Amino acid sequence: MPRLFRSARSAMGLLALTLCPLLPAGARAAPPEAPPALRASTCSVRGLMDDIRRGLGSGSAAYKRYLRTLLREAAVTLPDAELREAFARETDPLMAEHLAAALVARAEREADLTAMDAVARRAVEDADPAVRAATLRAMRRTGALEKTGDLYERMVRDESPQVRQEAATNLIEDNAHVYAGQYGPAADTAVAAAAASNDPEVTARILDNLSTEKISPESAERIQSLLRSDDANVRKAAVNALGGVPAERMQGSREALLGMYREEKDPGVRKALLQSIAQLGFEGAIPDLQRLRAMDPRLAGEADAWIEVLGMGLQEWSLLLREKQRLQQAP
Amino acid sequence: MTPESLHRSAAGPSADLPRRRAPLLLAVCGGVALLAAGVALLTRHPDDTAATAGQDAAQEASRKGAGGGGQRGAFAGPGAAPEEEPPPPRFEEAVCWRELERFDTAVSMENFRAWAAPLLASGDSLVADYLTERLTELIGNDADRATEVLTWARDAGADEFEVLLGALRRSEAVHQGQVTAKMLAQGMDTTLEGGRRAGILSALDTQKRFEPAALDSLKTFAKDPVAGEAGWAATRTIARVMKRDFEARGNVAPYMDALLTIGTESPDENIRYLALSTPMHATPVLDDQARARYAQVLTQEGSPDGREAAAHNLSVSGDRKEVLDLFSQAFGNERDTCVRWALFRFAARAAGREALPVMAQMALADPRFQPLYQIFEQLYASGHHDFVRLWTNLPDQDPFGCLVGHD
Repeated sequence: MPRLFRSARSAMGLLALTLCPLLPAGARAAPPEAPPALRASTCSVRGLMDDIRRGLGSGSAAYKRYLRTLLREAAVTLPDAELREAFARETDPLMAEHLAAALVARAEREADLTAMDAVARRAVEDADPAVRAATLRAMRRTGALEKTGDLYERMVRDESPQVRQEAATNLIEDNAHVYAGQYGPAADTAVAAAAASNDPEVTARILDNLSTEKISPESAERIQSLLRSDDANVRKAAVNALGGVPAERMQGSREALLGMYREEKDPGVRKALLQSIAQLGFEGAIPDLQRLRAMDPRLAGEADAWIEVLGMGLQEWSLLLREKQRLQQAP
Repeated sequence: MTPESLHRSAAGPSADLPRRRAPLLLAVCGGVALLAAGVALLTRHPDDTAATAGQDAAQEASRKGAGGGGQRGAFAGPGAAPEEEPPPPRFEEAVCWRELERFDTAVSMENFRAWAAPLLASGDSLVADYLTERLTELIGNDADRATEVLTWARDAGADEFEVLLGALRRSEAVHQGQVTAKMLAQGMDTTLEGGRRAGILSALDTQKRFEPAALDSLKTFAKDPVAGEAGWAATRTIARVMKRDFEARGNVAPYMDALLTIGTESPDENIRYLALSTPMHATPVLDDQARARYAQVLTQEGSPDGREAAAHNLSVSGDRKEVLDLFSQAFGNERDTCVRWALFRFAARAAGREALPVMAQMALADPRFQPLYQIFEQLYASGHHDFVRLWTNLPDQDPFGCLVGHD
């Protein structure tokens, strides 16, 4: 059989190379293969890790996903010490991520109240940035954010840009998908991290993607102080974030943004200002937008679009955003 | 006054359909969560296959659940090693399958059914999910393979059926015209039992769009008195594809027409309700025609759920004055508390603080709405504009118990 493969390949050249992935399947199909002796058994740390390590080479994304889910599902009943040892020993980032996810799953289901600490410690302390990043990924879309203190303020200052970005992703995705933007302390953690980071990309990315609906007055102040950042992207993100603040902060934010428009030189930031002013006032923002329209002819079209859409009288911000996009995409 | 339950309208010839009503209103879900029961019909889970695969599969799943040995992690198969020490009682053990790796490497279209059978029989839902995804990979973009799987579905048992249709639904090949056509035909084939047809029609819900002919045949089928459960599935599929097509291309009118036709012509109250309520997930701004048809539903539909759905959809509309007038009149003629509550809150969604005078009138006519009026007035006075945020700030989103009692 191997000889057949080789001769086929040499005869067919490049075409055979493209067919190559198909050949083993065809070869397998020829003599009907004995069915696998499938047997349900108890899961073990070592068995699962071996399966996962080998499964990483599988061509089936479904199988890899299954193994990842299985480890997390099995985590609560696996021997704790063995799992922690395996995690501590593991240096391969991908495997460490699987093991960290298993420990996080134990913590999430309250099978182990200190498992999260072990994972968070590794995120901070591991010498390999790829492992720190992987460990952070394992905490994503879980309740880790509530159980890890100032971890994120530290991680957004990590020396590795990849680690900083992974931390930002966790903050964004946890707020959006675990808390649906409705849990103030989680949003405050994200704001604190955004303000603590020295990486403008990280600060801007967090604030651009965060619901600020439930943030504290302190967080709102922090964001407002970022309006004076030297970095235009940070200013723009802070403007975006201020568009969604709690009702009691709306008036103050509106005034800050209106005041800023006059001094702001960057058209991208000015565009964001128009949007946040629209968000803070709905139809009531139309007179403000008409005034600002006259100040910058480059943005007259943008201001007009907002004025038209707000005039539709829709009462939900997501619908207004959608309709504005449709308006501007219309042929 | 006893709060009216929305659940009553689930009674009727097909009240036993699976998961028709969602029990919970999630305040955090924004606009979609505004109406009430049934809101999760489109959003329950993007990849749900329990409902996709039809009633028999769902029933089978619940049977297994009741047996205690079929749920995720509960299985201890014949080869399971005896437990050395019992785990804490609240955690069930997951199952690790010996030789699954070999299965994964060597499984093919030829051996899939035979090889998957013992895994499916175990009731391990993790491995069932894997089988579904693995079969999707095997089907790929090959129309012949997709057709073959559809053929298997004709005689598959409940668990296998769920895997087959779940796999088809997510495959690339499901978007090929010939596959879609075969699924449509088989889904409306009266020689198959209702649950199976429902599963097949549900698996069409990943389509990017429906051509007019397909949409027309689904609509005609769905409102047919004999369609039953499959008609319900066809309706939901139309609504899901509408949402996708609307978001991608802004195309909504043909689907709205189909849903409003089903919603006014089907003799099955549950199907009518589904057809009338599901456009809320796409949330189009209603055009004149859709607004007029929903206005008719608001005054003529016999089921309170249907009237409530009409109020919900009318609240995003191009003419808020007309809608406020309509709601104001309907409130006076309405005897159902839950529909009144819908008219009251959706007046705010239609017109924001401009609705307050109309809401004040409603509260005068029905004093139970007085405290609610004060809350809305206060929220608007505190600076809120966005109805979604107003809604999440209500101290009680269900003041009349309209959302309880759904299974």
